[in-house]
Amino acid sequence: MERSKGKIATREFIAIVILTIGAKMTDDTPAILYEKFSNAAWMAIIIIGIFSVIPIWLLINVFNTYKEKNLIEIVLYLLGKPFGYFVLFCLLVIGSVAITIDSSIYTDIVGTMYFTETPTIVLYAILMATCAFGAKRGLEQIGSFAWSILLWIKLSLFLALLLTFFQGKLDFIFPLFGRGVDEIMHGGISNLSICADFLFLTLIVPFAVNHAEFKKAIWISLCIVTVELAIALIAFVALFDYEPVKMLNYPFHEAIRYIRLEFLPNIEALFFPFWLLALFIRFSFYLYLIALLFGGLFKIKDFEYLIPSLATLFVLLGVIPENPTFSIFHFRDPFLKIVTPVFLLLPCLLWVMSKIKGDIKV
Amino acid sequence: MYSLLKKMINRKQQAPTPFIEKSSKEDITLKKQCITDKLNKTVDIFSHIYSVGKNNDVIFRKFHVQALKKDAALLFINTITDTDHIEEYILKSIQQYSGTSQKVEDIVTTPGIKKVQVIEDVIIEINKGNAALFIDGESVAYILSVSNFQGRGIEKAENEVVVKGPKEAFNEKANTNISLIRKKIKTESLVVESVTVSKRSKNEVYILYLKDIVNEELLSDVKERLCMSDVDSIQNLSMLEQRIEDSTKSLFPTILYTERPDRASSFLEDGYIVLLMDNSPASLVLPATFWSFFHTSEDHYLRFLYGNFTRALRLLAMFITLLISALYIAITNYHAEMLPPDLLLAISSTREIVAFPAVVEVFLMEFAFELIKEAGLRVPSPIGPTIGIVGALILGQAAVQANLVSPIVVIVVALGGLTSFAIGDLALNFAVRLSRFFLIISASLFGLYGLTAMFSIGLFYLVSLRSFGVPYLAPMTPKYTSGKDTLFRRLIFHEMFRPGYLKPQDMKKAGEVSDGKKQG
Amino acid sequence: MKKLLWILKSVIILLLLVMISGCWDQMEVDRKAYVVGIGLDKGKKEKINVTYLISNPEYASQQGGNTNEPATEIITFEANDLITSRNIANSVIAKEISYDMLSVIIVSKQLAKDKNFIRWMYDSTKDREIKRNTAFLVTKEKASSFIEQNEPKLETRPHKYFTLIFEHAGETGLIPRSDLMRYFRITEADGDLFLAALGTNQQTNQERSNGHLEAGEFKIKGKTNKTNLMGSAVFKEGRMIGELSGEETRLSLLLNDTVKSPNYTTTFQDPFNKDYDITAKIIKNKRNNVSMQQMNGKTILNIKVPLTLEVLTDHSMVNYAKNKEKRNQLKRYFTTKITEKLNKLVIKTQKDFKGQPFGWSLQGRKYFLTVDEYEKYDWMKSYPNMEVNMSVEIRFGEFGRQTDLPKIKQVRD
Repeated sequence: MERSKGKIATREFIAIVILTIGAKMTDDTPAILYEKFSNAAWMAIIIIGIFSVIPIWLLINVFNTYKEKNLIEIVLYLLGKPFGYFVLFCLLVIGSVAITIDSSIYTDIVGTMYFTETPTIVLYAILMATCAFGAKRGLEQIGSFAWSILLWIKLSLFLALLLTFFQGKLDFIFPLFGRGVDEIMHGGISNLSICADFLFLTLIVPFAVNHAEFKKAIWISLCIVTVELAIALIAFVALFDYEPVKMLNYPFHEAIRYIRLEFLPNIEALFFPFWLLALFIRFSFYLYLIALLFGGLFKIKDFEYLIPSLATLFVLLGVIPENPTFSIFHFRDPFLKIVTPVFLLLPCLLWVMSKIKGDIKV
Repeated sequence: MYSLLKKMINRKQQAPTPFIEKSSKEDITLKKQCITDKLNKTVDIFSHIYSVGKNNDVIFRKFHVQALKKDAALLFINTITDTDHIEEYILKSIQQYSGTSQKVEDIVTTPGIKKVQVIEDVIIEINKGNAALFIDGESVAYILSVSNFQGRGIEKAENEVVVKGPKEAFNEKANTNISLIRKKIKTESLVVESVTVSKRSKNEVYILYLKDIVNEELLSDVKERLCMSDVDSIQNLSMLEQRIEDSTKSLFPTILYTERPDRASSFLEDGYIVLLMDNSPASLVLPATFWSFFHTSEDHYLRFLYGNFTRALRLLAMFITLLISALYIAITNYHAEMLPPDLLLAISSTREIVAFPAVVEVFLMEFAFELIKEAGLRVPSPIGPTIGIVGALILGQAAVQANLVSPIVVIVVALGGLTSFAIGDLALNFAVRLSRFFLIISASLFGLYGLTAMFSIGLFYLVSLRSFGVPYLAPMTPKYTSGKDTLFRRLIFHEMFRPGYLKPQDMKKAGEVSDGKKQG
Repeated sequence: MKKLLWILKSVIILLLLVMISGCWDQMEVDRKAYVVGIGLDKGKKEKINVTYLISNPEYASQQGGNTNEPATEIITFEANDLITSRNIANSVIAKEISYDMLSVIIVSKQLAKDKNFIRWMYDSTKDREIKRNTAFLVTKEKASSFIEQNEPKLETRPHKYFTLIFEHAGETGLIPRSDLMRYFRITEADGDLFLAALGTNQQTNQERSNGHLEAGEFKIKGKTNKTNLMGSAVFKEGRMIGELSGEETRLSLLLNDTVKSPNYTTTFQDPFNKDYDITAKIIKNKRNNVSMQQMNGKTILNIKVPLTLEVLTDHSMVNYAKNKEKRNQLKRYFTTKITEKLNKLVIKTQKDFKGQPFGWSLQGRKYFLTVDEYEKYDWMKSYPNMEVNMSVEIRFGEFGRQTDLPKIKQVRD
């Protein structure tokens, strides 16, 4: 009989990553990508996926060298106390801003697409309360939760994409290169932060059951997420065409409002609960990560107890903007741009420092 | 407002008045003493303890033993002993003994005999239905096993019915139950340990396990929990279950209660621990995961496809029970556009003449349905059929005609009620039925959003449950090596491993069979 | 115990709170008035006349089946836009107006031709309940009078009538598939023309041969609904610019790969006996082959249309199934006939509409690598000057259920 150790196995880890990062296709990420790359957004996401390999590879290398250490310890060890703390503090701020922006966007989706009359703060409070409840249970439980519903979420998503493809026209992905190859390459690199979540994922390395498997899990999930996002981006273009799709705030939700399934003319409510489940996982996990980082930074051992207060804080921060539809939109894009260099440079810095200290032998 | 409420609720909490108790110190010291070699004194002590004379069924038989040339006394309670045995193997054999041996063991011919010195121990044995033989000049009591408790015979399982498979069920005698299990597991490694768990009634619990499979740590954990209770009496397993389970307030059960010996023994063979007790026509299996409640023994007795078909049906039934009323409320009140137009118009037209909001309607019907279930269970069987008639007629027909509820709500609630019966296990059944109400409330507040949020909370709760340290949804998540018997079962050849979350001493329970071989 | 009490207390308080505040988005199904169709007409100045076709749930239902209430309620009033109209309507309609069942938006020809029409259309993207799969219909008369005089005899519930008639008239190709999504998509892409279904319930007296009819020209007798849907309204850049007859709509659908092509029966003059007609079923189950060539500044479009024809009548008793030569002759005849018709349509679109409703810009996109190149080329502007080479490839399917016919002379003998 095994006592629970709070460790997380490979498949639970993959489930969490797929659901948290895969959920990006249902928010305004496609809208941002279409805005820049038109119908070639799917290519851009593949480019982003490919370029993300570099920082992730460096990170994994660093982590291989220091087994049993998590990101916080490694940063402090490699960069020294004052600078290390500064970097970690930056990470905490980035994480907190990201979770605030994301959660207010998702609340906005629920508010504008499904519950127009309900006050935002109520929707927000329900979202965060549920996620805080989940996050407080611990990482292992989030993983189990993710794994047990992964299949159903993916089935519903698959159905949605299948119907979208059937009711759309694949011809819409032409002209193939959208705004041009240069644009795709440049834009791809400057929007690398879409995969920045992987940086935060390394916080939970010490909780992985097996290091070798963890490495494998990261690669597998990166592939799955990239392919999934690319397919979704093609599907939306195939349904709406490149010009109209730019005008949609949340293409996924417009798509599930349009498609029909035989005798059921409106099936968006069929996909809505599954999308919500993915949403709850996503923010439970983010809350947990932020609490972990916070706890590590300020040396709080039982960081789980921080989660409810952090959740409250994010709700209060999230409702400050007047209307997320435009204020957050305009805030989000520069934010992604700012995060990109962090995501690119931090792993390089760590790797180089580790090399200087002579711990990595290649 | 909150403080006002608080005051109202808290008003009755006052300091408890001290109990007035009579000291039993004297009795306790008496019982701790040893038996003396004077028969008269011994007889006096025991007559006092058992109130012989007042106590109708306690019998003190005095006689003279010819072979020893000594007086002797036999003490027993005749309602729980086999008087024929006493006559045949004790009295007769003592009187007719013609040998030369001076030892009591040689004279008395009962199968079980042992010597006891302390009064307290003698009392325990007598209370268990054995007879105590005191002989003048000897400071020991001979305990002769002649117990015979009354109880019913082995009958068919009533709550866990199967079509294909053994029909016998546990009864209230632990000995019979152990015998039923031994009949299925004929190995010397099956150990039956007994632990006394209560102080006054001295209830005994039998711990059954296979000593070369069970995990030692789990075993000692179970024993520890059994010994922890400081209580006068634990009548049966259902009471014991509440004392040893992980979280008593949990909505979901964490110990399996089964009345089928075949089920208990198949769990034993997988490395689980089984508890038996007198007075309980069932056994407790621990640790229990969600799946052990979800499964029935018939899933494995049926062929692969048939078994999985029933599993699929049960899964569907479980989700329908859990969600249908909540979904009805969520969709009609918040997401009406989801309904096909004709259905929407149909529901709308029937609702138009109903007085109550849909939520009240559903609650009304759910309440009525639960009432029929409960009343049907408690009603004496001669008037049982009335319940059915009253329920079906009043709820199905009249309520609709009186415009109290709309027909579609009757369908929805009836379907939910019907499907709830497909979940065989009583505990899981209750858990699902209760959680349904949480879902209905949340769906009525925030439609699908509230429903999903509540569902997530429930699932988070479920995955964080532990039964003796085993995650509730293991081996589905987190993953363990096992027979992979979770939602659906594998081919019987592929179930090669014992559940890994139990950490059994021997993991493999079957050899690999190649595909060709099993075909032949 | 204390914790349990605490939970109990908070649950009670939460329930009280919610009961006091009410649930925001909650609305019982029986408290809504289900709008099935919205009619839009031009009003005074910059206003529109909105007509609501509201379905009565009690009509023809099991419980309220014996009601004397009519199947629908129709109201028309003036409003600024589609959003305010919802609230104004509630001064007449007791229940809350809901678009949950909205299945068609009906626009009068007059409004569709207005230069500001597109502004009102975009209101529908703002409303949460109007979905992009709502059908779109243009009427020759006022939308309000179309809705009022539309009296389906058998499908008395209006949503059923509209769903079915769009489905079946669409299958036979007499009207194009038109919904809001296509309207917005084609308007925004600005490469093609959008075809909307055209309908009327006025009868005109023009005489034309079958199939070339426009809406209202089809003569029907008997006790039935006067409404008929036939042909299509042509929209360029979100504004109506012309009409296509039923026959032309069918042909345009043959050329269009972005929609499901119809299978329909049509008649041709019999090449072997001028007195009779041949009925043939045209089936299109392969995609067109559209290729684009640039030649000395001129764009040439090559279009191959593969068709399967099933000859269903044989009044001249030629027995095509048995006669190979006659069959080839027939094939040549069909090929030239259909090519002729298609060419005529293409010329009409080039001259009259200066744009094409065939979705060819989609095929043309494959010849551009980037969006910028494509947009610079401006398909809509280039189309009138393109040279279109049409080639029709015909394969014969079966010749009716029974292929053989008796010799007419033998029968008459």
